[in-house]
Amino acid sequence: MNPTEYANPDVLVSTDWVAAHASDPSIRVIESNEDVLLYDTGHIAGAVHIDWHTDLNDPLVRDYISPGDFAVLASRFGITPETTCVFYGDKANWWACYALWVFRLFGHTNVKIMNGGRDKWIAEGRALTREKPSYPASHYPVPARRIDDEIRAFAEEALAQSKAGKPLIDVRSPGEYKGVVTHMPEYPQEGVLRGGHIPGAKSVPWKTAVNDDGTFRTPAELAKIYTENCGLLKDQEIIAYCRIGERSSHTWFVLTYLLGYPHVRNYDGSWTEWGNRVRMPIERSA
Amino acid sequence: MNKACPEPSEPAPLSQYPPKLAAIVSLFEGLPEDEKRETLISYADVAAKCAPAAGETFDLEDVRKDEECTDTVGVFLKVSPDRRIHFRVSLGPQVQILTKAMTSILCKGLEGSTIETVLEVPADFVPRIVGGQLVRARSQTVYYVLTRMKSACRAFLNRERAAS
Repeated sequence: MNPTEYANPDVLVSTDWVAAHASDPSIRVIESNEDVLLYDTGHIAGAVHIDWHTDLNDPLVRDYISPGDFAVLASRFGITPETTCVFYGDKANWWACYALWVFRLFGHTNVKIMNGGRDKWIAEGRALTREKPSYPASHYPVPARRIDDEIRAFAEEALAQSKAGKPLIDVRSPGEYKGVVTHMPEYPQEGVLRGGHIPGAKSVPWKTAVNDDGTFRTPAELAKIYTENCGLLKDQEIIAYCRIGERSSHTWFVLTYLLGYPHVRNYDGSWTEWGNRVRMPIERSA
Repeated sequence: MNKACPEPSEPAPLSQYPPKLAAIVSLFEGLPEDEKRETLISYADVAAKCAPAAGETFDLEDVRKDEECTDTVGVFLKVSPDRRIHFRVSLGPQVQILTKAMTSILCKGLEGSTIETVLEVPADFVPRIVGGQLVRARSQTVYYVLTRMKSACRAFLNRERAAS
């Protein structure tokens, strides 16, 4: 396969597109970052902020918010099920993809990513504002359920995937995959007791999917990485993981939307769960 | 009889901090969460002013890139004859906003303190300034600048001892 266009080209929008559509009432631009105060220092006019930690995660249990809380969150930003949510953020859209993936968990399908994220917008000299927008609250019906079983994987499923020899994609840095380090370079240790990877997982760092400016590689380049070199087949069930699920959300987005793999799940428990859990099998490589 | 120890969850009295830092902590503690964030941004906005000025000389310079921080941080220390210290801090462009804010806060809050005072500053002022919501995984760098400043002070003392 050597596609000339993305499987779902509409899901990726340019900075130009966002500049032209940010004030469209049927569209909500959403910024989601790793740097928790970055939005406050300036953002795209009209963009709202979703904090991956406080807005999307349950404050007590390691899990996502409930369907009811998601409805409250969406309503707060004037979002309805018909609203097109355009996500962007720092770190080449790690957290934007994570937020998009969580929205998908609740069945919100009108989603897009601004290619290149926040850094590209700034590099192009486009304006930022500190003015926080306010939208009339909408009515977002409480989703019937979270589709965890479709796009999310849990430890037992990742273990079964490993035992069955089905595709597991480890998107962390090579050092993390090899077990040389338990955290990514430039980040604090987050309490993982064992290093290595899930047995059978292939190392395809998330970064291979992006150019230096944070934009996604071309369809042909992505196909070469994942289809040709990694050998992923369209009818396979694929699980991606990283350390806490944000980098693997990025790869999940690439595989699902840009390459059109229909059965991709993100194991958000990832290495902080696997590397700490008693008796989980671990592989290390040189 | 042993002197009663405060419960670990009890905030330290402001008198435990250098006066300028205590004033900043006191200011933040009186602010609602949204104003706290705005004030942090204001401090972050002026972090570049904490960098060494051209031609400025120091008694100790420690510029390095650690794994705990997303970019290079330089800590510059000048010690006056009465052993009061003056910090300057240079930040790489990739450091997080909280790190920038803490740099401004600490340069201002520790200005004129003694080395010994800086070494004894309890780190529990950080959540009091930043707010519990922002102290979390991935934001541990809020402690990083203080750690580096203390490290510079220790290095200065070690060098001083070695020289004597």
